[in-house]
Amino acid sequence: MALALSGSRAWIIRTLLLGSALAYGLAAIVAVPRAGAPLTTYAGASSLAYAADLAAGLALLGAGLLASTEAGARRLGLLALAAGAAWFAPDWDGWDKGPALVRSIGALAIPLFLALLFHLVVSHPGGRLSSRFTRGAVIAAYLAAGLVGVGRALFRDPFLDPYCWRNCLDNSLLVDPQPGLARTLDGIWLGSALALGLLLAAICAGRLLAGSGSARRVLWPVLVPGALAGAAEAAYAVALIRTPLEDPDGAGFASIFIVRSFSVTLAALGVAWSVLRIRRTRAAVSRLAAEVGEAPQPGTLRAALASALGDPSLEVAYWLPDTGRFVDAEGGAVRPPAPGEGRAVTPIVREGLPVATVVHDAALLDGPGVQEEIGAAARLAVENERLQAEVLARLEDLRASRARIIETGDAERRRLERDLHDGAQQRLLALSYELRLARAGEEARGDAGLAREVASAAEEAEAALGELRELAHGIHPAILSEAGLAAALATLAEDAPLPVELGEPTPRRYPPPVETTAYVTVSEAIADAARRGASFVSVELAHEDATLAVTVRDDGAPRGAELVHLEDRLGAVGGSLEAGRTGLRAEIPCG
Amino acid sequence: MRVVVADDVMLTREGIVRLLAETDVEVVAEADDAASLVSRVRATRPDAAIVDIRMPPTHTDEGLTAAAAIREEHAEIGVLILSQYIEASYAMRLLEEHPGGVGYLLKERVFDVAVLVDALRRICDGETVVDPTIVSRLFARRRREDPLEELTSREREVLSLVAEGLSNKAIAARLFVSERTVEAHVKQIFLKLSLDANPESHRRVLAVLAYLRAAI
Repeated sequence: MALALSGSRAWIIRTLLLGSALAYGLAAIVAVPRAGAPLTTYAGASSLAYAADLAAGLALLGAGLLASTEAGARRLGLLALAAGAAWFAPDWDGWDKGPALVRSIGALAIPLFLALLFHLVVSHPGGRLSSRFTRGAVIAAYLAAGLVGVGRALFRDPFLDPYCWRNCLDNSLLVDPQPGLARTLDGIWLGSALALGLLLAAICAGRLLAGSGSARRVLWPVLVPGALAGAAEAAYAVALIRTPLEDPDGAGFASIFIVRSFSVTLAALGVAWSVLRIRRTRAAVSRLAAEVGEAPQPGTLRAALASALGDPSLEVAYWLPDTGRFVDAEGGAVRPPAPGEGRAVTPIVREGLPVATVVHDAALLDGPGVQEEIGAAARLAVENERLQAEVLARLEDLRASRARIIETGDAERRRLERDLHDGAQQRLLALSYELRLARAGEEARGDAGLAREVASAAEEAEAALGELRELAHGIHPAILSEAGLAAALATLAEDAPLPVELGEPTPRRYPPPVETTAYVTVSEAIADAARRGASFVSVELAHEDATLAVTVRDDGAPRGAELVHLEDRLGAVGGSLEAGRTGLRAEIPCG
Repeated sequence: MRVVVADDVMLTREGIVRLLAETDVEVVAEADDAASLVSRVRATRPDAAIVDIRMPPTHTDEGLTAAAAIREEHAEIGVLILSQYIEASYAMRLLEEHPGGVGYLLKERVFDVAVLVDALRRICDGETVVDPTIVSRLFARRRREDPLEELTSREREVLSLVAEGLSNKAIAARLFVSERTVEAHVKQIFLKLSLDANPESHRRVLAVLAYLRAAI
């Protein structure tokens, strides 16, 4: 209900705004005097000036109307409408057949134009003032314009002004004619206008020079004409200081007017362009929702947002509330986004919960601007991609956990083998020595029967030792960790139940999980080949980039079952297995 | 003969020491790691050292490293490496690093004190000792085309004794034949396997082992 009400109120306001701006524009077209005596406006001086005057004012009004319909640019729109209205103020003042009150209000509003233009240009593109300095400058501009406008309205009697030319008769607001004070106010205004014009030009130039490439692309359509307009306003002030009697027909004043009108027109077109850009962005981002839904390619959203917002360095980090960390679209962990060095951080919130954070060029857009531009539809896409990133992050966790399980298992086997070696095997060895000694003792003493029994016990002990050694080797081949893959594979080939041909040995050492995985792969492949009745196996190891490739070929019968265990083992270390009908090829990443 | 025994496991070290007590081999020092082994050898100057391959701190191949250190300081001291595992790689590495005066035996092998004493003697004479288990495993290896099949059974017998490090004279004594007969067998074997004829005794052990390991 409240939503509907506020929606209809906004519609009424928008319609009223549109209607009054149109009416005002039409009035200006009708009222602005054409050429003829006496000359009271620039528009009257030449048809070029007439066209330039109308173009500038109508461009501002048009840009303002366009912007006020766009959520992200409403403030800019209101400023542009106000500036357009104020642009025509001198024409109302110079309307020699117009009502005195209209002319008086026009005269009052003349200084406001510069303050509004200043505000409009420096608050582009977000409609907000980014620094305390610009905020102070804008307030000062309004104060100066207001003070001079109201002061002149109250104390300037145009009839007593020696330099009056637009309107030398009417001032309905006059309270007390004070020609001296009026001249002082004129002087104050010219000084302020000169300062504001130069400051505007400087701010525009500074922002253009300091901005990144992507920021510049967004800023120049308004800031370049803005700088020109600032310079033209300053030139206008200088001309008036030097020649107090303004002559719209004179070459100097006429050309300054043309430049002012031209730059204001361009700035207004720039504002309109940036509004259209925002609209285009929103359309692009909205399309994104559908695209991301159709083709869930990780990172699509980032690329699309970057191109839609015109910031190639834009980053999107997704928030995983379960594990309390940020990940990228692929699910890899990233550092928590932080603002800095011209970067701004904007959280994207959906249904009250943060889903992602966009890191973007600070000069390009302010935070609320991004939020508005991304819009509700894109937030859905962001949420989709966040879920995807979450799944990928979980997969990565799972892979890491598999690798840990394998590694723990391997370490456990190594420990077990060492325990056997240092424990049971050593005790059996010692026992065997004892039995040998005992036998020798009994033989020396001449007890042949006991000597035989001891000898058979010794043989049992040695058989146990042999079995234990095989067991330990099966648990973990000590040679693998001690002498490396090449030596361990050579031993494997020597013990194999069928001929095993080893390719060029690889003398280099790899991390234990890589060596163990390669060893297990070859060992299983040999066992598999033997099961399939192969008459020989050839094994090749190759180091390719950051991968150890194990290729095994054999001439056995085609494989029936898949090598699931081996696939699992390779998957756990991030490797892959390609098993053909007989041979196989495993790739193990080794950093 | 004077020897130093090095093994980090007291039980097996004691076992070896007690076995040797029955013989004329004198154990002049014991060590439980590679560092103390090297310093005891330096102090006692024995004829040979009996060294466990796996010792602290890493329990991998400290014995081989210690052997290299001993031989570098005292080329005349023989080193007998004992291992619980039969690894041809280790035997080859030992033989490649040291021309003669070294041996590699499985720990169980030295239960038979006669084998141990014989190995020590041969090492002190500058011969090479390779555990018969290694040799028989290399012989038993499956091959696609077995060149060993071209050898007569007597030749195979001679070849395995060559691989174990025995000299022609020792082989002759072992097989109760004349040294000349053994020489003839060896010549024939080397011809059949197209191995470099008549290399010196240590190098011929290496050549045969390498041949057996490589042949497929």
